[in-house]
Amino acid sequence: MSLLDEVVEVPRRTMTLFFLIDTSGSMAGNKIGAVNDAVVNVLPILNDISASNPDAEIKVAALEFSSGCSWLYSEPKLASDFIWQDVEAEGLTSLGEACEELASKLSKSGYMKSASGSFAPAIILLSDGGPTDDFYGGLGKLKANNWFKHAIKVAIAIGDDADLEVLKDFTGNMEAVFSVHNIDALKKIIRVVAVTSSQIGSKSSSAGDTTKQQQVIDEVKQSVEDIDGAEAASDASVDSSSYDDDWD
Amino acid sequence: MELTPGQTVNLTIGEKATVVKELGRGGQGIVYLVKVGKKDMALKWYINPPDDKFYHNLEKNVSSGAPNAAFIWPEYLTVRENGSYGYIMRLRPKDYYEFGTFLLARVNFRSFHAMLTAALKICAGFKVLHLQGYSYQDLNDGNFFINPENGDVLICDNDNVMAQGEKSGILGKARYMAPEVMAGSAPDKYSDRFSLAVILFMLFFANHPFEGAKVVACPCMTEAYEKKFYGSEALFIFDPKDKSNLPVRGVHQNVIRRWPHFPERLRRAFTEEFDSEHLQNPKKRMIENMWERLIMQVRDELIRCPHCKEETFVESSLASDKCMNCGHPINLSQRIKIGQREMMLALESPLYVDGDEIADAKVVASPKGDGALWLQNVSPKAWTVETASGKLKQVEPQGMMPVRTGMKISFGLDNLKGEVVAK
Repeated sequence: MSLLDEVVEVPRRTMTLFFLIDTSGSMAGNKIGAVNDAVVNVLPILNDISASNPDAEIKVAALEFSSGCSWLYSEPKLASDFIWQDVEAEGLTSLGEACEELASKLSKSGYMKSASGSFAPAIILLSDGGPTDDFYGGLGKLKANNWFKHAIKVAIAIGDDADLEVLKDFTGNMEAVFSVHNIDALKKIIRVVAVTSSQIGSKSSSAGDTTKQQQVIDEVKQSVEDIDGAEAASDASVDSSSYDDDWD
Repeated sequence: MELTPGQTVNLTIGEKATVVKELGRGGQGIVYLVKVGKKDMALKWYINPPDDKFYHNLEKNVSSGAPNAAFIWPEYLTVRENGSYGYIMRLRPKDYYEFGTFLLARVNFRSFHAMLTAALKICAGFKVLHLQGYSYQDLNDGNFFINPENGDVLICDNDNVMAQGEKSGILGKARYMAPEVMAGSAPDKYSDRFSLAVILFMLFFANHPFEGAKVVACPCMTEAYEKKFYGSEALFIFDPKDKSNLPVRGVHQNVIRRWPHFPERLRRAFTEEFDSEHLQNPKKRMIENMWERLIMQVRDELIRCPHCKEETFVESSLASDKCMNCGHPINLSQRIKIGQREMMLALESPLYVDGDEIADAKVVASPKGDGALWLQNVSPKAWTVETASGKLKQVEPQGMMPVRTGMKISFGLDNLKGEVVAK
């Protein structure tokens, strides 16, 4: 049965999921602990989505930014090979530098060099404050990048001090910004956003008029309704002052 | 709202289903293992309930029943409660794998015969679905479960099945959607037929018919590019006139290896089906019946090599061909002609006289030891054979007969009659 036995896996595209993680001093303690815990727990789920998906495989990359920024690995890795090293929080919030670094890697000569092509990436930004460097300078470079233009972009605002305007400008849409007010909600939303954007981003599109980004937003919004202490930042009907920021 | 183990939902027939555990989840909903009475069944529960029209369509489908046994069809509907609704279907048996698992090469067909059986069953399923006036609307790689041993097929996700002409609102998935649906028209039985051709191609060749050099050169498959490469500018990888999208060595390995070995009639059918004329004219697409006939002819061209004993495709237009595995020449001069079909006789090959996947005859060595080929009746019916000189003989099940040019055989199956001919 030689001809049948020689069958190889169909060529799959790659969908890279980027985590951009604020590791500035204000994230220290429970917040960064929750981020570490949530990402470690979501990796096996991403691996399952990737392993059973004939359209694309999912790779993961993570960039932490504080006073400067650095990648956890020097290339995107399959979720099964991505051993999460806990990130620690100290220093400033160099989001501008992180944008510039991301822009430099969103290219065929950078991280997007799959032989069988890619889907647009999904980018999840987590932050609890505002940038301390030239954010708009960095964002300008990122916004000129075609990969970024087509990416699924979602931001998670951790606590009341997160700069929602900055997150809105990053994602291009206030609807793509979700706020969380406690540890449990933070863990849940990381999981929901990572899983949803991976599922939608790694499948061939459904040819409606709804973009993948909008599909992710719609699904995450639905899920957020069941998470106590999380809300869509664009949802004016939710009075976020009813939540005490609770990070202990 | 999600359901929890132990929770019960009410069915419209008055019974209850009790949730045992979650089996899986997809974009639209969650599938739970449930007990209905003492029976284990599956419940598909929508996370966000689709509209009234969808519910009424399900209601209608439940009462009309499954088109055939291959469909895992909605059997009962729940009442609308807990902020949503769902439907009950039978559980998928073990030993069936999602089509995607085959594409990922985690499961392989045991034989080409099993692969062709799967193709025939998929065609038969959609034929009866369309005959009953339905269209499937969202035909893609996630809708089939196949048994790799024997090629048996189960068709699932039947909740989008609508009467032809109705719109479920589901558009389908790029790579499987017809070009006109990619451009915005509603899916119908004609677009189902496009998806069917793509599924069959991928079943046989384990690569996508439009994914060649052109598509792989696109670094980022955005939604706009998907509309182009699978819609407005779709180009078959083996388009005879435009060679710009040929499969790429090292990337599209399966189709490069397999394409030359499959019978010419199948290659020709795909080449026509995916040319610009057929892509743009949905009504010119092959109907299921034509696919079935073609695949049965392809099955007639799948024989067992008398030398290496492996399955090999041969061309029935030739009096002799080479085994695709061992390269040994195979004599194809003796055959049985049934209508347009010609079944070539090679030692130990099974013959499939009627449309099912059960062999009806087997080519065996003459018991006289003279090297001639004989036929054994492995069907449950007696055959009536008329010799060239007009004598009538009976071949009982398990009985054997010599093969001589001019003999006519009535197989006792669907009135099928064959004649022994020489090439």
